[in-house]
Amino acid sequence: MWDNAVLGMAREVQVPLLAVLLLGGCAAKARRAIRTRSIAREMGPTALFPVRLHRPAAIVVCASELGLGVGLLVTAGQFGAGPPALAVRSLTVVLFGTAVGALHVLRTRRPAAGCGCFGDLSDTPVNWRTLTRTALLCGAAVAALGAPALHMPASAPQAVVVLGVLVVEVSVLVALSPEFAEVMVRLGYNEPCEVRRLPVARSLTALRASPQWRQYHRNLITREPADVWREGCWRFAVFPGMLAGRRVEVVFAIHLTPRRPQVRVGLLDSLAASRTLPAIPRQRQGELLPAPAGEDSAVL
Amino acid sequence: MRQRPGSPDGCDNLLESPTPGRFIRRSLLRETVFGPLDRHPVARTSITGTVVEVRPHTISLRTAAGDKRLILSPRTVAWRGSVIPPARLRAGDGVVVRHFPGRNVAERIWARIGRVTGTIIETDRSELLVDEGPTRRGRQLVRIEAGSFRQIQMRFPRLEAGFLIDVIGTRQEGYLRAVKPATAQPPYRADHLPAAPLISGHLPEPAEGTAVWHEPGEETPGLLGLAYPALDPETNCGHADAGTDEAYAVDPHTAGPGCVRLPYLSIGSAVEIRNECAERSATLPVTSCGAAARLFCDRCVACDTSPRGRIADLTITAFVELGGNLEEGCFNATLRTAG
Repeated sequence: MWDNAVLGMAREVQVPLLAVLLLGGCAAKARRAIRTRSIAREMGPTALFPVRLHRPAAIVVCASELGLGVGLLVTAGQFGAGPPALAVRSLTVVLFGTAVGALHVLRTRRPAAGCGCFGDLSDTPVNWRTLTRTALLCGAAVAALGAPALHMPASAPQAVVVLGVLVVEVSVLVALSPEFAEVMVRLGYNEPCEVRRLPVARSLTALRASPQWRQYHRNLITREPADVWREGCWRFAVFPGMLAGRRVEVVFAIHLTPRRPQVRVGLLDSLAASRTLPAIPRQRQGELLPAPAGEDSAVL
Repeated sequence: MRQRPGSPDGCDNLLESPTPGRFIRRSLLRETVFGPLDRHPVARTSITGTVVEVRPHTISLRTAAGDKRLILSPRTVAWRGSVIPPARLRAGDGVVVRHFPGRNVAERIWARIGRVTGTIIETDRSELLVDEGPTRRGRQLVRIEAGSFRQIQMRFPRLEAGFLIDVIGTRQEGYLRAVKPATAQPPYRADHLPAAPLISGHLPEPAEGTAVWHEPGEETPGLLGLAYPALDPETNCGHADAGTDEAYAVDPHTAGPGCVRLPYLSIGSAVEIRNECAERSATLPVTSCGAAARLFCDRCVACDTSPRGRIADLTITAFVELGGNLEEGCFNATLRTAG
């Protein structure tokens, strides 16, 4: 009797576990799509489709995960118990069953491709661990098919046993997940500033809060930069200005640190520059870069 | 790239901007903050033009700067699909010439040389339709010479749609007659790049890899510069232009950073490139977007085996000035940001 109760509880907890994994997978894929600005960027088995179907296939996969994840959570308790819960759980079995087959085909046809299950984290080529994990989740979905509505354990020992089952299951899933190692690496990851992506607007906001800006902003002709560019860890913003009756260009260099970036400033006398850099006004037709200073040398 | 030209918020493009001067000024403006750049000038030893006349000991060229006459010596090597005697060059051939430094003697002459680098989208035995992507010239037709097919297939075993190709040959009307492979084919499909290495802290400097060259296209003949694979995605070529309806086999902008992590730079930034094979280096400006180079996680074996990945896609003149031989397709290179 007690064994049956524990087994029933163990089947019940499969529902929220599967829901969390499905919603996590959907969120990771959405994050990748936002970061790369394209949902068409192939994700695992969607690579098996023709290029024009990558986008719809990716949308269907994401929408299925989201719909089934939410559906599993909504029908986990008394609300929605019965046919709605059975329908959602059956579709979950179909999804994981299809995933096992698709990953097997992907492994055969694209041995270098990752499963894409958790977006960027799933770039490791599909191997027996990925396949076993998906098959295990398919089994969990089958086990959840006839599970009763989720409820609190009847006693403390029952709760401990159920918790133990959950811990063991999660540990097995973690052991089968190449994504776990990737997460651990990323937790200790310090992104080099040279490749850190930071919006221009954020650099300009940081600039306008800096002492260098307060020192020069009265001399600027416009509040919007005439040019903005980046070199490694620094973003440059140039503003035309007037200083002591002379036209100048005020150059701000803002470090690409997310918080309180270092700001440096430089001034260029526009008139003097146009004399010392004759190539700027002297570009001949069709010549986009300054001519070399001499016959035997060539610089910027 | 066909983007909002010249907008400070848009995608930069040296060729299409109405104010290319602002890119040129960037290194000067940078110097006001960080001091003078440590520039390595390169000797001007290359000439781009069209053959007017070939005589036993001289060759006359028409260039943008006027007519030039160069001496042909017994050491002069000419190439048009293969090494040929200089006397077999024809009037009307487009040529790139490298002469000996400080002397008016031609060292190497490349005639009608062309290159197609991209993703195969259609094949018909020895004819290939190749998509060079949004940063290059779109679709290109390649015909592989019967005598060269075996050599090219040795280095590019999968001449199938979806795989990458990089071949060198002679330019013909409307197509490239491919005669040799430029590098070796990466073993993956173009839309399935290996993951970028995860680097923590700071990027290693200098970056090591392969430097390749590209045809001028709309660039000014004789332009010294490079298409850089990692332009700042916020203000440069981080994404394909949403305004175009063209569909590309693979959009390199969304393909990830490639297998070499390079610092984000901008059009007009200065980099120092060193040809490790010829031991020549030069400070060059970034003149265009080289996102397509990120698709190629290949190696160069011009002198030694280079680390994987392309770090610079040089203009034809810059490649020649740095001592590269165009028919070899690449050289082992190191790159550091100037300054």
